[in-house]
Amino acid sequence: MSTFIEQLVNGLTVGSFYALVALGYSMVYGVMKLINFAHGDLFAFGAYLGYTILTSAAGKVTASIGIWGGMAFTAGIVAICVAAAGVLVERVAYRPVYPSGRLSLVVSALGVAIFIQNSIMAIWGSRPRAFPASVVPSLRFSLLGIPVTALQITILGISFALMFAIWMIVEKSTFGAAIRASALDRETATLLGIDVRKVIFFVFALGPGLGGVAGLMNGLYYRAISFNMGWNYGLKAFTATILGGIGNIPGAMIGGLLLGIVESLLSGYVSGAWKDVFVFLLLIAILIFRPTGILGEKTAEKV
Amino acid sequence: MNVSKSLLDRIGAFSSKSGGGKPPLRGRRLIVASVALLMLFPLLPFIDNYWVDVGFYFGIYALLGLSLNIVLGEVGLFDLGHTAFYAIGAYVTAILNTKFHIPILALLPFSALAAGLFAWLVTAPVIHLKGDYLCIVTIGIGEIVRLTMINNPFGLTGGPNGINGIDTPNLVVPIISSRQFYYLIWAIIGIIAFGLVRLQRSRVGRAWNYIREDETAAEALGVDVRHYKLAAFVLGAALAGIAGNIYASKQMSVSPESFTFMESSLLFCIVLLGGLGSIPGTMLGALAITVFPEIFRPFAKYRLMFFGLALLLMMIFRPAGFLPRLRESGETLRAALRGKRRLPAQAKNDEVQATPLAMAGQASPLLEVRGAELSFGGVSAVSCMDADVVRGRITALIGPNGAGKTTLFNLITGIYKPQKGKISFKGGKISGDSPHAIVRKGIARTFQNIRIFPSLTCLENVLCGQHCRGSAGFVASILRLPSQRREEAAMLSSADRCLERVGLAESADRLASSLPYGKRRYLEIARALAAQPDLIVLDEPSSGLNDGETADLAKLLLSLLADGVSILLIEHDMSLVDMVSDHVIVMQSGRKIAEGAMCDIRRDPRVIEAYLGSEED
Repeated sequence: MSTFIEQLVNGLTVGSFYALVALGYSMVYGVMKLINFAHGDLFAFGAYLGYTILTSAAGKVTASIGIWGGMAFTAGIVAICVAAAGVLVERVAYRPVYPSGRLSLVVSALGVAIFIQNSIMAIWGSRPRAFPASVVPSLRFSLLGIPVTALQITILGISFALMFAIWMIVEKSTFGAAIRASALDRETATLLGIDVRKVIFFVFALGPGLGGVAGLMNGLYYRAISFNMGWNYGLKAFTATILGGIGNIPGAMIGGLLLGIVESLLSGYVSGAWKDVFVFLLLIAILIFRPTGILGEKTAEKV
Repeated sequence: MNVSKSLLDRIGAFSSKSGGGKPPLRGRRLIVASVALLMLFPLLPFIDNYWVDVGFYFGIYALLGLSLNIVLGEVGLFDLGHTAFYAIGAYVTAILNTKFHIPILALLPFSALAAGLFAWLVTAPVIHLKGDYLCIVTIGIGEIVRLTMINNPFGLTGGPNGINGIDTPNLVVPIISSRQFYYLIWAIIGIIAFGLVRLQRSRVGRAWNYIREDETAAEALGVDVRHYKLAAFVLGAALAGIAGNIYASKQMSVSPESFTFMESSLLFCIVLLGGLGSIPGTMLGALAITVFPEIFRPFAKYRLMFFGLALLLMMIFRPAGFLPRLRESGETLRAALRGKRRLPAQAKNDEVQATPLAMAGQASPLLEVRGAELSFGGVSAVSCMDADVVRGRITALIGPNGAGKTTLFNLITGIYKPQKGKISFKGGKISGDSPHAIVRKGIARTFQNIRIFPSLTCLENVLCGQHCRGSAGFVASILRLPSQRREEAAMLSSADRCLERVGLAESADRLASSLPYGKRRYLEIARALAAQPDLIVLDEPSSGLNDGETADLAKLLLSLLADGVSILLIEHDMSLVDMVSDHVIVMQSGRKIAEGAMCDIRRDPRVIEAYLGSEED
C-alpha cells in the first residue's frame, strides 16, 4: 500500500510538470491552432538556465537569503527569460509564416525546435548536466507515514498555485474571456474588438514561462538534465493536452496529472521499459474513442 | 481544413511565370540534364567514395521523401511518424536475412509488403481523424515502433544495439562498393518516380489531390475518401519499406537510433521544402537535406542550429517550396494519353447519356424522403420530413434561414445519416449509404458556400465529377493499360463538354482559385454535371449573383432539365424559383409546412406567416 502511495506522489509530481507544460501547448493551440513543437525545448531551456543561475549567481543570493530564497530568485529569472524566448519565437518563427498555412507552420515550428535544442547543445554541451547537491534542499520527512521530500511538497504546492492562477485568469477574468473568444474564432474575436495580437503575446509569454519553471523544477527533482530532454517531455505533455481536451485549460491540468499518475503506476506495476509504449497507445485510443479528450466538447463541422 | 489555400497566390504567380499550361520545354531539358548528372556523378574523376556515399544517402532520402510525398504532398495528411514504416522495412529485412539467410533483394517485396500491411493495420482505425489529430497519432505510431525495437520483444530486434551482420545484396554480381549501391538505389528511384508521375496524371492521383484540397467536397462528388487515404498510406509505407531494405543492407546493420522522430521531421521538411506534391521538388528537398550537413561539416557543433534556422527562413521566404507542383493543362494530359502508340479505337460514345426526358411523369418519384429525422444534441434540425422529387421537374426547397434545408440536403447526399426515416432514390434505399456511393447512384450536388478545389485547374475540378464514372485503379494507371487510356480520354472529353455547358471552356487550364466568384458557382455546377447525375442538388446557386447572372442561371437550369436531369434546389431568390420551378416545398423549423405550385404557395397563410411572422405580432 505504501509503495502505491509513493508511486502516486511521484506520479503527481511528474504529472504537475506535464500539466504546466501542457498548459502552454493548450493555450497556444487554442489561439493559434498550432502545435508549438518548440515548447518542449523551451522547457529544456528553462532547466538549463536554472542550472546556470543556481550554480553560479544564486550562490550569493543563497548566502544572504537562504536556499529557498535562492530557488525563488532563480525561478523568477527563469520564468521571465523563457517567457521572453517564447515571445521571440512567436515573432520570428510563427508570425511571418502564419499567412502561409498550417503545413508551413509545422515546418517552421520544427525548425525552431531543432534550433533551440542545438543551441542548448552548443552552449552547454551534449553531455547531461547535474544539479549540484548543494543547491537542492534535501529536507525529508514523513507525512502520514509516507516519506516525502520538502522539494516534492514545494513542487506540488507551486504547481497547483500556478495552475490555480492560470485557471482564474482564463476562466474568470475579462482578459481570459478574450483568450477563450480568440480560441473559438479568431476572426470574430477581432471583429468584436479583441486585440488578438495581445492575446497571442500573452499566451506565448505565459505558456513558455510556466514551461520554463516546470523545466527548472524538473531539473531540481531529477537532478540530471540533458539537451534533448525537451522533446520527450514535450511529447508527453502534448499527450496530456490531448488527454484533457486540446485547447481546454482545466483539461490540460487534469490530463497532465492523470498522465503522470498513469505513467508512474505503469512503471511501478507493469513495466518501466514498456511504459511509454502504453502511454502512446493510450493516446491513440483516446483519439479514436474520444478525440475531444476528457473535458473537450463535441464540435460538428459545418458543411 | 484546407492545407494549401494560402500558398495559392504564390503558386499561382509561379505557374503564370513559367508559361501556364504549355509543356515547359526548359523544364524538360533541366530534367534530362539532372538525370544525366545523377548517372555520371559517381564516375567523375574527383569524386571519391565518400561523396558517392553522400549520393547514396541522398537517394535514400529522395525515396523516403517520395514515399511521404504521397501521404503528405498528394493527400495532405500530416504524417510525422513516417519513419515507422521505414523502420519496419529495415527490420523485416534485417531479421529475415540474419535468421534465415534469405537474399536481400528477395526480401525487397517482403519489406514493402510488411510496411504496407503495417500501415494499413495502424492507420485504418484512425484514418478519419483530421489534421493535427492524425499528425499526433502518426507521431505516436513512430514512437511506439521505435520503443518496441529498443525493448527487443521475443529477442527479435536486438534491443538498443539493433541487428548486425546483414548481407549485401546480390544482383547478378554482389553489390558491395559505394558506386554499386549508388546505382542500385537510383535505379529503384527511377522506376518508382516513373510510376508516380503516371499516377499523378491519373484518376487516382487526382482523387488524392481532391482530398487534399477539400475532403468533404471530394467525398460529396464521388471520391471514396477513406479508400484513397488508406491507399496513400499503404503505398507510401511500402515505398518507405523499400528504402528500409536497401538502407539495412548498405549499413549491414540496423538500430533504433536511425528511426527517431527527428528523422520523421526531416522527411516532413523534405516534402515541404521541395513543394507539396512535386516529384522533382521532393528530390531537390532531399538534396538540400543531405548536402546541407555536409557543407556545414566543419561547423559540426552548430550545423543543426543552422539547419533549424534554414527551415525557418525557407518557410518565411518561400513557403510553397523550391519547385511547387505545376498543374498539367488539358493538352498535356491528352498528349500523355496518346503516347507513342495510337489509342486503340476511340470509345464508341464516351458518355452514358442521362435518362431521356421520355421517362418524365413516371408514377413513382425519383427521390422519396419518408419521415426523415435528424437532431443535433437534442435540437431537432429536420423532423418527420416527407418530400418527393419527381423526374423531369425542377423542385425548389424554400424556407427561412435555419429551417433545415441544407440539413435535408446533407441527409439526401449522405453527409448526415437520418436518425429515423428512409430516403430512396430510383426505388432503392440510399439513406445509410456513404456520400460517394450516392453520387455513383446518380445524385450530385453543389454547396452553399462554394467548395471548389482552389489549387487545381478548372478542368481537374470538373474531372472530379467524372471520378465515380471511371474505374481505373493503381495498376491500370501506372501501366497505362489501353482500358485506362480509353477511360481517361472519355473522362477528359466529358469534362470538356461540362465546362462548355456552363461557359467555362476557355478557363479550362486556369487555376480554380483565379476564377471570379460567379464563375466558381458555375464551375461547381459543371463539376456536379460531370458526375452524369439523374438528380442534381443545388444549394442556393444564385446567392452572390446579380440579376443578369441569375437569369443566365435560370436558362442553364432549364436546359439541364431538357436534357433529362432532374433538379432539386434550395433558393432564397424567389424570382428564380418563380422562373424555373415546377414544384415548391416550404420548410420551417425542420418541418414541411406547405408544398405545391409557386402560385399556390404564395397565398398559403402558413408560408406567409413563416416568412413575415403572424399577423398578431
